[in-house]
Amino acid sequence: MSIITRPTTSVGQPHKQRSRRRVEPIFYVFLVPSLILFTLAITIPGIIGIFFSFTNSIGIGDWDFVGLTNYVAIFSDPAILQSYLFTFGFSIVTVIAVNAVAFLLAVGLTSRIRMKSALRTIFVIPMVVSGIIIAYVFNFLFSNSLPSLGAAAGIPWLESSLLANPDLAWVAIVLVTAWQAVPGALLIYIAGLVAVPGDVYEAAEIDGASKFQQLLKITLPLVSGYVVINIILGFKGFLNAYDIIVGLTNGGPGTSTRSIAMTVIAGFNGGDYAYQMANATIFFVVAIVISLVQLSLTRGRNAL
Amino acid sequence: MSVKMTRRKRFAAMGLGLALLAGLLSGCTGESGKETIRFTFSKREAIGFMTKLVADYNASQDHTEVVLDTSGVDVVSASFVRGNPPDIALANYNMETSRFVQRGVLSDLSGAEAASRIRDDLKPLMDQYGSYPGRTSALPYSVMASSVIYNKEIFAANNIAVPKTWSELIGACEKLKAAGVTPFYATWKDDWTIAQGWFDYSVGGQVDSLGFFKELEAEGVDVGPESSVSFQKDFDQPVQKMLTLARSYVNKDAASRAYGDGNLAFSQGKAAMYLQGPWAFSEIAKTAPGLSLGTFPLPMTEDPQDLRVRVNVDLAAWIPEASKHKDAARDFLEYLYRPEVIDAYNESQLGFTPTKDSSNKPDPRIEGMVEYYNNARVYQGPSVLVPRTIPIMNYTQAIVFGAPPASTLRTLDADWARLAFRQ
Repeated sequence: MSIITRPTTSVGQPHKQRSRRRVEPIFYVFLVPSLILFTLAITIPGIIGIFFSFTNSIGIGDWDFVGLTNYVAIFSDPAILQSYLFTFGFSIVTVIAVNAVAFLLAVGLTSRIRMKSALRTIFVIPMVVSGIIIAYVFNFLFSNSLPSLGAAAGIPWLESSLLANPDLAWVAIVLVTAWQAVPGALLIYIAGLVAVPGDVYEAAEIDGASKFQQLLKITLPLVSGYVVINIILGFKGFLNAYDIIVGLTNGGPGTSTRSIAMTVIAGFNGGDYAYQMANATIFFVVAIVISLVQLSLTRGRNAL
Repeated sequence: MSVKMTRRKRFAAMGLGLALLAGLLSGCTGESGKETIRFTFSKREAIGFMTKLVADYNASQDHTEVVLDTSGVDVVSASFVRGNPPDIALANYNMETSRFVQRGVLSDLSGAEAASRIRDDLKPLMDQYGSYPGRTSALPYSVMASSVIYNKEIFAANNIAVPKTWSELIGACEKLKAAGVTPFYATWKDDWTIAQGWFDYSVGGQVDSLGFFKELEAEGVDVGPESSVSFQKDFDQPVQKMLTLARSYVNKDAASRAYGDGNLAFSQGKAAMYLQGPWAFSEIAKTAPGLSLGTFPLPMTEDPQDLRVRVNVDLAAWIPEASKHKDAARDFLEYLYRPEVIDAYNESQLGFTPTKDSSNKPDPRIEGMVEYYNNARVYQGPSVLVPRTIPIMNYTQAIVFGAPPASTLRTLDADWARLAFRQ
């Protein structure tokens, strides 16, 4: 978009500009409602939240300024540091898992196979189910169905629930999150694969490239823009992980699977509003840094 | 002509609709000049009881109309933020509610007639959650005592008496185990069941929680290995004993069982003991109404004099400072505390009445705790006395799942000191 508009405004023939200006108000009208809503619902509460992160408020009643105390405390709080570690580790693993699975599925579902549309429909179903419901269903599977299956089949490691294992509970969360997130990535990959012209494959075939070489040397480079989109969207979403974790482990066992979002919200319920506002402010800064890095990485990628 | 008629009808219908809507929205205010007060109550098991009580009260006088609001405690917090709190509430008294107390948004009830009838030995328990200078911010309404729930039939079949010391308890467990009975049914998937039962009973049976938390409060930022009291020093032994029970005498699948599973299994006689509060009785009774159950405090030492039961103020009454109908709310408060009303409520919920003049006759299932409650041999669970921002439930779960108790208790000390540092 910006690439198209910039030259016209900078070249700027006077009469053309005037005619543009006459159209402009309507664009403002389009923008104003969202701008007002964004200001009221996001900017102002955000600023209020940052303000309160310098107090000892619990959200109601009396409060005092405490300066940077909350921030100092956060950097020595192992629970919060652990929630950052967990959230980033979980997000990276999940992004890789989701994209690998979704890409392979998309390749399969765009090739010439039987019942293609029926299969596509089936694979997209997890996307339309709400996260908390998926989490509770899997919770039941992990803590009841799998252990009793393990007991019946005599497989000892299956007998205890994955969710009750502090070292492995995160695997369950990655599995369930990926199960829900794959369809979204899958749709984007299908769109990308369909857009690849068929003649490049024909040419490759004539040159004697195997199917695997085609996938690696032709398909993957041609959809690389979609890979970037999926990674950015996915990573952003997984950093905010909340509902699936609440339904599966509720941060446990112990504190091994508490995400940043859960820690912040636990602060609201636990009368720790100001402290968790400081945490949210730090998370906000981290998120901005990540978006800047992502923007600079993706800039100039016309494949997008 | 006919067109006119329908139009008139349409207007009439619209007017009627609006009137209905207005009536719904305003909750019948203005009608016959009654003052409307909003009463928040969200204990799910007792909503039926309270609905009837409110209807009786509304019918009994013609100056106040009480509207029952059952939307829950999170909504109440938000209503304080908006400056539109309920006029009166009966709510669980915990660290969450105590925030309202400490920040002074609740009005002083010391002048109420009901306040003078509250048992004196409950005041330190209320104050454990903090207070606001010069105010009685909340009055206890229903006290719940909890201890070990045991299956009398299984105990009798195996010839086991109620244990009064730690070694008797271990003896009973061994006897049950030898007979092929699971001694304790544990539901560790729900971390609150560990904190409420396993952890609180073990610690409360050995540590004087009133004194411990008072000193811990005084130590503040200094809590740690060097302080006069600390979790790592004072809780270590009770936690070790808890682990002794947790490692050898529970159902095999404890880690993946939840509270609901526990109630069902216990009602089916799959274990002899269950570390739950009286709220579990009604759930157990759903599948086994005739099951003969009793209660006893978990013995953690060799001295029967140390036996204590865990109590919590399940309901406390309070009136927000920001209420515009404080007088009407006071009237309703006094009604709630009428001996026959408060006794009827507590009888229906297996609770203990906190007033001096109570003539409550306890249910046989909680009889085992009456002498302890009456002699004030009670404690409040350490898991509820730690501020909610410290994830103590998660920590207790980590301990029973195998995390080293010493390091977890050290974390607890560090969390406490950090919280003291920033408050």
